Amino acid sequence: MVQVILIIGLMLMLLGIYGFMQSKNLLKIVIAFTLFNTGINIIMVSVGYLADAKAPILDKLPDLNEIPNMVDPVPQAMVLTAIVIGLGVTALMLSYVLKLHQEKRSLDINNFKDLKW
Amino acid sequence: MVSPIYIIVIALGIAFSLGFFGKSKLNFAGILVFLGLLGMSFISGQWLFAFLNDTEVNTLIFTAGFQPPYSISLQMGLNEAVLTSMVNIAGLLGFVYLFRELTTKGIHLLMVYLVFVMSMNVSLMTRDLFNLFVFLEIETIALAGLILLINRKEAFQAGMKYLIASGIISGFLLIGIIMAYQSGGSLNIDDLILANSSIGKISAIAGFLILVAFVLELKPFPANGWGIDVYTAAHPGIGSLVSAAVATTGLYLLYKVLPIVGSQFNDYLVAIGAISFIGSNLMGTRQDNPNRLLGYSSVGQVGLLTIILGLAPSLGNQTLPIAFSILVSHFAAKAGLFWISGIIQSNHIKDWSGLRSSPTLMLLFGAFLLALIGFPPFPSFYGKWELLLTMGGNQQYTIVLIVLLGSFIEAIYLMKWLGYVIKIERVEIPRENLTLHKQIPIWIMGLVLFAMGFLMNRLNDYGASIDYLPLVFIFLLFVLDFLPVSFKNTLSIGGLLFYFIHLWEMVTDDLIRQIFLVIFLIGGILTFVAGYAQKGKRPGFYPTALLMYLGLAGIITAQGMFDFFYNWELMTVGSYFLIIRGKRSMPHAYSYMLFSIGGAYLLLAGFALAAASGAGEGLQALQSISILPEWVYGLLAVGFMSKTASLGLHIWLPGAHGEAESDVSPMVSAILLKAGVFGLVVLFLSIGMYNPSAERLLYVLGWVGALTTLMGNMSAAFQEDAKRLLAYSSVAQLGYILFAFTMMTQMAWLAGFTYTLNHFLFKAILFLIIGAIVVKLGTHNMYQMGGMIKKMPFSFIAVLVSIIVIGGIPPLSGFAGKWLFYNAILEKGWYFQGALIFFSGIVAFLYLFKLIYSVFLGQLKDNHRHMNEISAWVLIPSYLLIIGIMIFSAFPKEVLIPISDAIAPYFGNDALVWEGTKAVSHLGYWDGTTIAIVVGTAFMLILAWLIVLSAKAQKVEQFNIVFAAERPFRPETTHVSYNIYAGFHKAIGFLVTPLVTTFWNRMAEWTLDLAGWGRRIYSGSIQNYTIHVLFYIVVFYLLSMGGY
Repeated sequence: MVQVILIIGLMLMLLGIYGFMQSKNLLKIVIAFTLFNTGINIIMVSVGYLADAKAPILDKLPDLNEIPNMVDPVPQAMVLTAIVIGLGVTALMLSYVLKLHQEKRSLDINNFKDLKW
Repeated sequence: MVSPIYIIVIALGIAFSLGFFGKSKLNFAGILVFLGLLGMSFISGQWLFAFLNDTEVNTLIFTAGFQPPYSISLQMGLNEAVLTSMVNIAGLLGFVYLFRELTTKGIHLLMVYLVFVMSMNVSLMTRDLFNLFVFLEIETIALAGLILLINRKEAFQAGMKYLIASGIISGFLLIGIIMAYQSGGSLNIDDLILANSSIGKISAIAGFLILVAFVLELKPFPANGWGIDVYTAAHPGIGSLVSAAVATTGLYLLYKVLPIVGSQFNDYLVAIGAISFIGSNLMGTRQDNPNRLLGYSSVGQVGLLTIILGLAPSLGNQTLPIAFSILVSHFAAKAGLFWISGIIQSNHIKDWSGLRSSPTLMLLFGAFLLALIGFPPFPSFYGKWELLLTMGGNQQYTIVLIVLLGSFIEAIYLMKWLGYVIKIERVEIPRENLTLHKQIPIWIMGLVLFAMGFLMNRLNDYGASIDYLPLVFIFLLFVLDFLPVSFKNTLSIGGLLFYFIHLWEMVTDDLIRQIFLVIFLIGGILTFVAGYAQKGKRPGFYPTALLMYLGLAGIITAQGMFDFFYNWELMTVGSYFLIIRGKRSMPHAYSYMLFSIGGAYLLLAGFALAAASGAGEGLQALQSISILPEWVYGLLAVGFMSKTASLGLHIWLPGAHGEAESDVSPMVSAILLKAGVFGLVVLFLSIGMYNPSAERLLYVLGWVGALTTLMGNMSAAFQEDAKRLLAYSSVAQLGYILFAFTMMTQMAWLAGFTYTLNHFLFKAILFLIIGAIVVKLGTHNMYQMGGMIKKMPFSFIAVLVSIIVIGGIPPLSGFAGKWLFYNAILEKGWYFQGALIFFSGIVAFLYLFKLIYSVFLGQLKDNHRHMNEISAWVLIPSYLLIIGIMIFSAFPKEVLIPISDAIAPYFGNDALVWEGTKAVSHLGYWDGTTIAIVVGTAFMLILAWLIVLSAKAQKVEQFNIVFAAERPFRPETTHVSYNIYAGFHKAIGFLVTPLVTTFWNRMAEWTLDLAGWGRRIYSGSIQNYTIHVLFYIVVFYLLSMGGY
């Protein structure tokens, strides 16, 4: 099960990379970027996942002598943070796309090569 | 002690409270942000102060009341204190600089700015890997927001590229972090380091991903198109923060995570840094957009620092001091340069010539560039020295090569830029940009640069040998630059005289050093006397001239390699600024500087290799070189020969000396060239008479000297430009000197010293007089002169005396030189070279005749009829020098015997036996005093006879002849002096084909072509840049972990 999630995450990530290498449309590139991010998030979740374990929510102090059968909460917390950051970056990217579109009335990245060499 | 957590509190508190300000209170909001940044700087500053005074120890601050790994901890140690102080100061000054732009854009950018500075603070201090990632992302987002400060399509594109590329990089970083967590069981950096070192538990791929992400954050060449575009398109105020603060942070982050990864990647870091350092600087050579150029230079500097981080195992506890010295130079210089760029607001480096209207900015601009290249007295100089000497000592010669090559390439474009700014036609800078709040940050960064240089000096082991007082004197002259020439001239002469007396005590028991001290400082005083003839204020002349003399004096009194090299560089800088003063000197000063820097780097390489022998860093260590002695001696010799303009390295000299101002030419020709001679003397004396490891080298150098002489004399004979003729004559004379010293016998060294003294005396006279005549007549071309003998009799006599010395004609001291020389050649048995030298001596007569004939004899030109004698201020030093020649000629014994004694310990003392005034060698004898009396008497008799005869002669007017032809189309072609040696040229002219010039031009073309070809990878396409990043990761992976 964990492996499946991991592989799905990896594939999403690779799909994202393929997307922003292949697509010429700025919006599609942003979408590909979010795919890439989502893939990474899934990979992260899968790392802390334990089959048949409980959610990492404690209602009483755990007994320190036995290992609690629960999922590692740290990756989940990290993923939450990463999602928020990803949101911020995506929003900023989209506002950049808007600015670029206002400038040239186009979303084709080949039109944005004013800076070179 | 205020806890560093308040840095975050202040930033976030103010950023949130800014929301309460409407559009009407923007200025107030701006002031609040300023106060916030001030508070942040204060907090980091007080920690720094405490650490420097040892009143505080490394402190960990735990957030949320838990110990790690259950919470995030911040560390405040010396490193963090230094770096957060740097970041906060850059942020504070950058805010002052951008105050108007930021406050007119609304409160949002103010918030973003605060968060931006804060994010760097936290990522520097945090000990939690994931927290580090979060604040890196915040930094990225904030920066992408700040790029929007400027409303241009280029900025939008750059921001977009930056966002995408850094998004990918942080994606890989995130995977690396989670994998490190999986294998190491913690997110705390210290825990991870422990996990890695104790049980090697961090998986290799996790380490790789973390490392490659932090490397890519540094924008390494060539996967950095997105970063370079940010430098190019963002507001320069933002560019300065990226270059100064973000790069500083990024480097420290790399340093921080390196132990997690372990040391197996260190070699790769060195390679990555090397590629960045050399590649990026190479790309910079073709750049004329100032911001982009600064971007390339930033990447290069960061590359150098990456090399240093990678070398940590072999540098040991020197790593951080070395890195800091280079980092702080980069930090202050880049911030300052970007800020200047924002004032000038142009996208061509040529437009920076407007800086000349502001002496302070001009001074700082020069200081920033020189600091980047690594000149003293700036901190990077100390860092590079320490780095290279340590590497040389460890026999890691590749590193020495890489660092010197990269530095040289950087100098290529920075010096070109400096030349433009000093010299080309002034483009006015927008006055409204020259406000105080834009200039104060630049001044402060300049101050930081000088202060850090001073600090490095004091902290350094060798620092004590450097005297700062003369530099203060020079600075004083810079401040007094508004005063008239006569005052500054007197002050300078006084300064030199005082310094001469002061230094004389240090060399009382060393005749060789005394000779050179007299040449340098007394010669300097004499050339300054000629300066009284100058009108106006000569802005910048005196500080730079004194800087050169300071360096010259310093190399004489230097005890160790370090102070020798330090002063050598001071002298180079000073002379560059002197040479570029001539009207058409820009390209010549540029090539002078490149050859000088190249030569200096060869010296540095030589010293670095010498360190491998472990004989210490004193100059006497050169006597006991056991490892690669031929290389050490060869590198040093070629380094010095770049200054003496030997064949192959001479192409800068004719232009540099020929186009220099009239009283600068004697300074750089008669005096400055002797610096190279002094270097060779020190080197050869260290090599010693019988040193099998240098025999081949000396033999080759001997040939170079002989060929230089021939080439110089022949080229001089074919010149039409009077000053270039003299310049080529210098090349030839220095060839004689090199040849003499390579023979390594007492006789030859006597000849060498005689030539050195003679060349100093006569070349100073000739350049003074001819220089003044050229200015007076308004032409360099000898065929446009003529008949000056009656207008300028004193000049004529001085030139006549000088050429008698050059020609080696009795009774003057030139003959002494020749006599010693031929004795030495015959004793040594270098017949072929000797024949060349002999032949060159004959060729010399051609140009000597041409010089005196076409200027002083022949027909007076119509437009020169009202000319009279040149200024007495030029004649006075010339005649003082003539007195010197006369004394040397009449009493050679008084000079030669002490020199014989001084070099006797090295070469034995059997060259000459003195019988009264007669010098007897194994081959013959010579009596200077008697010859002087005999020839003098004969001269007087003939003169008297001629005067008697000419009493009966009839005076003829100039045009009392018959003209019977039409007026020629180009009158100069009928001048007898024009192309006077056409016949000789036909016969042997092929020997002076400028092969060497062509060679160096080709080298320059190829370098630029390579850069032009290489920078095509920066195609401007977002996708290409992403692919570069991915490729970088893949290639790095394959090379480091793929088993290749």
